[in-house]
Amino acid sequence: MTDLRVNGRPVQVDAPDDEPLLWVLRDDLALPGTRYGCGAGYCGSCTVLLDGTAVRSCQTPLSVAAGREVRTVDAAPAPRSVAAHVRDALLEHQVPQCGWCMSGWQMQLTATLEATPDVDDTTLIAGLDANLCRCGTYARLRRAATDAARRVRAGADEDAT
Amino acid sequence: MSPRLTRRGFLIGTAAVGAGVWVGWRFGVPAGRLAIARVLDGASPPGGIDAPPDAWIEVGEGGVTLYLAKVEMGQGIHTALAQIAAEELEWPLARLAVRSAPTDRGLNDRNGTGASASVSGSWGPLREAAALTREMLRAAAADAWGVDVAGVVADQGRLLHRDRPDEALAYEDVAGRLDPDAVPDELPPFKAKGAYREIGRARPRVDLADKLAGTGGYGLDARMEGMRYGAVARPPRLGARLTAAAAGGAREVPGVTDVVLEDGFAGVVATRRSAAEKGVAALDLTWEGPETPVTQEAVEAATTVRGDDDPGAGVVVQREGDPTRDLRRRTDVRAEFRTAMAAHAHLEPQAALVHVTDGGVEAYVATQSPTLVRDLLAEATGLERDAVSVTATWLGGGFGRRLNVEVATDAARLSRAAGVPVHVAWTREEEFRHGYLRPPVHNVLEARLEDGRVAAWRHRQASGDVAFPFLPAAAQPLLGADFGAWRGATSPYGGMARRATVAERVELPVPTGWWRGLGLLPNVFATESFLDELAAAAGADPLAFRLAHLNEEEDDVQRRLAAVLRAAAEAADWDAPLPEGRGRGVAASVDVGTCVAQVTEASFVDGAPVLHRVVVAVDPGVVVNPDGVRQQVEGSVAWGVSSLLHEEVRIEDGRVGPANFDTYAFARASDVPDVEVVILEGDDVPHGMGEPPLGPVAASIANAVVAAGGPRARHLPARWT
Repeated sequence: MTDLRVNGRPVQVDAPDDEPLLWVLRDDLALPGTRYGCGAGYCGSCTVLLDGTAVRSCQTPLSVAAGREVRTVDAAPAPRSVAAHVRDALLEHQVPQCGWCMSGWQMQLTATLEATPDVDDTTLIAGLDANLCRCGTYARLRRAATDAARRVRAGADEDAT
Repeated sequence: MSPRLTRRGFLIGTAAVGAGVWVGWRFGVPAGRLAIARVLDGASPPGGIDAPPDAWIEVGEGGVTLYLAKVEMGQGIHTALAQIAAEELEWPLARLAVRSAPTDRGLNDRNGTGASASVSGSWGPLREAAALTREMLRAAAADAWGVDVAGVVADQGRLLHRDRPDEALAYEDVAGRLDPDAVPDELPPFKAKGAYREIGRARPRVDLADKLAGTGGYGLDARMEGMRYGAVARPPRLGARLTAAAAGGAREVPGVTDVVLEDGFAGVVATRRSAAEKGVAALDLTWEGPETPVTQEAVEAATTVRGDDDPGAGVVVQREGDPTRDLRRRTDVRAEFRTAMAAHAHLEPQAALVHVTDGGVEAYVATQSPTLVRDLLAEATGLERDAVSVTATWLGGGFGRRLNVEVATDAARLSRAAGVPVHVAWTREEEFRHGYLRPPVHNVLEARLEDGRVAAWRHRQASGDVAFPFLPAAAQPLLGADFGAWRGATSPYGGMARRATVAERVELPVPTGWWRGLGLLPNVFATESFLDELAAAAGADPLAFRLAHLNEEEDDVQRRLAAVLRAAAEAADWDAPLPEGRGRGVAASVDVGTCVAQVTEASFVDGAPVLHRVVVAVDPGVVVNPDGVRQQVEGSVAWGVSSLLHEEVRIEDGRVGPANFDTYAFARASDVPDVEVVILEGDDVPHGMGEPPLGPVAASIANAVVAAGGPRARHLPARWT
């Protein structure tokens, strides 16, 4: 049995140590939000946050996640959180087409904006080359990403005043 | 169900269900596809009275639900069809539940979801069914109140009567009074365009909030109590057959519960996916053949237009006059173009959950063709079709790859043997190596110019199969040439004096088939690149040259094509001067009745294009959802850019070379430009949007590169040096 926390809750998993976290989440814990795309770390669809850092869950053995906090898209983000701003921006710009890769983008953008809320648009947009989207939603992704960053900065200003 | 044909010839069927009714309708089959549909449908005519419907509108105590056989794969079809239904139903879109219907609810969609045909084929019958449903609701309210139906108004889910201001009835209230046999004889007139509340509005997609929240719903997400996971052995090279199979060490792999060895098939069922895959790797298998391994060189050599040596080669798919005689006397410009094989690379792999029992089959499959999958599962299990229920899930991309879905039969074989529900999902390597590919294409174009105009134009193209592998053998002589292979190859320019298009079939030892747009991208890449070469030879502006060859007075399609060319050029400031090193390129095409023109502004730096500006003008006929139109244009431009810059599958060591995204590149964010979309609403029916904007993408960019001083691209993907 391996203990870890997923979206704030403690869970126990009976799976081999080398089982990729992706399949533990999907098949053992029935959390379908984290997506398989390539199984080799190239596409980014399976991105989750491990103790706040974006990782490719298909390349993360269960043993590495043991005792740590995993965040996925399956739990609704807290209002006004970075994750909520990211999800709202993706929805408002009607970014997804098939939607399969979008969990990866959400978690990647959330990690970036949590770590560097003042990231400039050029750096943010350059970072979008890390993941793949086959439907070609990249132009909307750029708009949603920069819009989410603006919301995060505005939220931080509001909290400061 | 009581079926009847409406006066326009669409099938409408009704049935009582609980405290309500279903009104079903049958997908309209465009006349051009009748022959194919007849073959696919056996002897019964498409739209025949004995055929079950393609969709149901259910009105019950819970409100209104639209059950669709059309599959949501990212093209926004559930939203567009919901808008069309809500319009005539007078029911609020936000409360219209949209469901993917299982085949055993009477749905039977032989067309599958593809060919950009879902909106165009649904436009007539769905509005009829919705309008008839609304009339039945009005009649039920009139009955409840004991008034004349003429005074009953249907308004956003409520039934109102002038004399009863405080007694509005909800649709749900009268659902129990609906009489399935009392469909009005007279079809009510459709709403006037000016009265539309939903059609033509940029409504948000009905599925996106759930998708962003990670709720299940895709094929890979399907779950059932007691399910296990399956994996299947695949041949190590193209054309190899399994001649001997034994369990080897598979049964000893922890988690493996069943080893299934049947005629030419070897698979494993386990409690985990990883265990099933390890089990397959531990099987003791013998593969034999083929005698001559497939090579890239052989594929390329076969994909060659033969017409120079064999004038009778191929099937003439377009001919006006006899350009061949003219060209024999003098050919001014000749050019060749080639397109490589490519993969679909949809990010969600093939996936199916299937439970086979003695009594029937329950299946959840990521497929564009639930009806076809139902038939495949009936055949694989020996059960009657009616005993097989297939529900199409959301698809994480379709692009033509899921019109045929082998994964469902894999899962069925394993489930039958193991006696439990089995989920099979392909790995990325299986996707690359064991699917079918965009076929390679060779285009040869020749033309003769007179007085600055095209006097003779001949386009010969040779392509691997697209549609033929999936059609019954009887369809091939009926169709002549493979319509998928020559899609986009014919010339829309009526102002060319004599023109001909010839399609040659190339039979390859590599599985090829449906791919977004079929031949559209390769063929228009060739024809619209060549048109720029002709304009250059004639000393003409490429835009003016195109317009000069469109007979706008004679033909509505040519008029609309000229209009999108002008609109794209105007929006892109075609005549404005550009800085040194930049150029503009234009290209246009017509596909499934939708006219598209693209103007690209590019420079050519360090051997690659830099895209500064992309403008696309599109006339898809009636626009159901303008934002959906924009999404499909943006996605098509990305897809075309990707093909031009990157995509290529080569055969290596007798098998498909790439196995994952390290060896198969497609467009990343920095490759794909912003797109300015100009929508011209064309005529009184909607055409299609999923593929048509793909037509001009590669040629428009290639032409811009030449205008910027770069080399002419002769290959997809481009080899610029």
